[in-house]
Amino acid sequence: MTAPIQSDIDIWADDILVDPYPTYAELREQAAAVHLPKNDLYVLTRYDAIRDALGDPESFSSASIGFNPMVNGALQGTSLASDPPVHTQLRAVLSQNLTPRALRGLKVVIDEKADKLVAELADSGSFEAIDSLARAFPIEIVADLIGFQGHVKDNMLRWGQAAMQVLGPLNQRTQESFPIAGELYGWCSSVTAEDLAPGSIGRGIFDAEARGEIPEGSAGHIIHQYLGAGVDTTIASIGNIVALFGRHAEQFDLVRANPELVPAAFAEVLRYWAPVHIWGRKATRDVEIDGVTIPAGAQVGILFGAGNRDPRHYENPDTFDVTRNPVDHLSFGYGPHGCAGQGLAKLEAHAVIEALARRVQTLTIGDEVREPSNITRSIEKLQVEKVVAV
Amino acid sequence: MKIELDRPRCEGHGLCEEAAPQLMHLDDDGELVIDVPDVDGAELDAAKAAVRICPVAALRLAAA
Ligand code: HEM
Ligand code: SF4
Repeated sequence: MTAPIQSDIDIWADDILVDPYPTYAELREQAAAVHLPKNDLYVLTRYDAIRDALGDPESFSSASIGFNPMVNGALQGTSLASDPPVHTQLRAVLSQNLTPRALRGLKVVIDEKADKLVAELADSGSFEAIDSLARAFPIEIVADLIGFQGHVKDNMLRWGQAAMQVLGPLNQRTQESFPIAGELYGWCSSVTAEDLAPGSIGRGIFDAEARGEIPEGSAGHIIHQYLGAGVDTTIASIGNIVALFGRHAEQFDLVRANPELVPAAFAEVLRYWAPVHIWGRKATRDVEIDGVTIPAGAQVGILFGAGNRDPRHYENPDTFDVTRNPVDHLSFGYGPHGCAGQGLAKLEAHAVIEALARRVQTLTIGDEVREPSNITRSIEKLQVEKVVAV
Repeated sequence: MKIELDRPRCEGHGLCEEAAPQLMHLDDDGELVIDVPDVDGAELDAAKAAVRICPVAALRLAAA
């Protein structure tokens, strides 16, 4: 057994959560797997180690994707927290409505909505990008998709944030979020078909349950996972689009001049600033990675953002370059659990980038305001001080 | 080598087609069709790229 390489940092310290990249670089240079005694955790830091672990559920189980026993207990039986072969079935049910082929009909509506919203903002002279775009847009799309109406729609932001926050260690943020995540869980356990708009995908999931195509009681859980996994992450990525285009005007100009760069630009936004800071696994056996042994039973933390900036994999990884097209970035995970909602996330984000490229000439932004949060790394406030419409 | 698709796992993300359009395509229903399953030489490289890029690891290469 080799000696573990350690660091005495706390991966959930406020300053690291707000700006994790210097810490990611330090840890990555130490080793591909670094023991953090303060967090009772082994973090994976390098691209290859992360991808290999995500592709190897036999050695890295999803039994502890969260970092406290309460949340892992609550997630038992969900797709996110299960391993093959059980996972394979749950995933098929979960992803049925999210595959690119299932979403094909939505593209036109999503594009139209993004264009209308961005056109209004572009004409307004200045705006706050997080509330009015990064949050407003995905909440509207996901609410329509699932068929939420009324007070549920108003709760989506709080519920989505809390569902991610409670995956953290038992710190104050996690404790404060448990009751809110509980509201979401409670609502999803009691929701019925009639609560959801006719014709929505959410209603369709209940119809499938009624027809016996999916196990009884699973419809509410599926909707829970869409909300938990699909709201806060997408919000982060859209806020990041505006901030990175604001900071790198020459890159935005490239996209404006070459709209075919839209998918590559989104992949680069995801690579450059990963929406998910850390995600858990459990080592099922002693696993050796580049000379470091992770002992059986250890909690593992995957640092997607550290892998995305690994110079062993990407040239000039700290440069934001919309022509890079890093389709193999790690921000959606990889393998059996690779993000089931990536088709939807791309539809939304591509629509926003296309609309920005079409409607906006220049963006002048203020400093982004960030607040520490356990799992999602997103911008809290971003003032677009001046926007010049096309 | 032979390209093998784990059909239930494939969700039609289509990244494999972008990597190797000469070997596979999504049909009108969004189902992946492997046009050239047996590959070697330059086609093998393209197949490897497609296998690598599938975000849910639904493709693999097996001995022919
Ligand atoms: C930019 C936006 C998004 C990011 C960065 C993101 C990130 C991720 C990551 C890293 C995972 C892998 C978890 C693991 O390996 O255990 C994942 C899984 C998942 N995501 Fe996303 N996600 C996004 C958007 C969405 C959306 C819009 C939805 C659905 C409406 C969604 C639904 C899911 C589900 C259901 C899983 C679990 C799949 C499974 O366990 O098999 N995600 N996501
Ligand atoms: S990339 Fe993977 S999931 Fe997507 S179509 Fe190809 S094989 Fe299927």
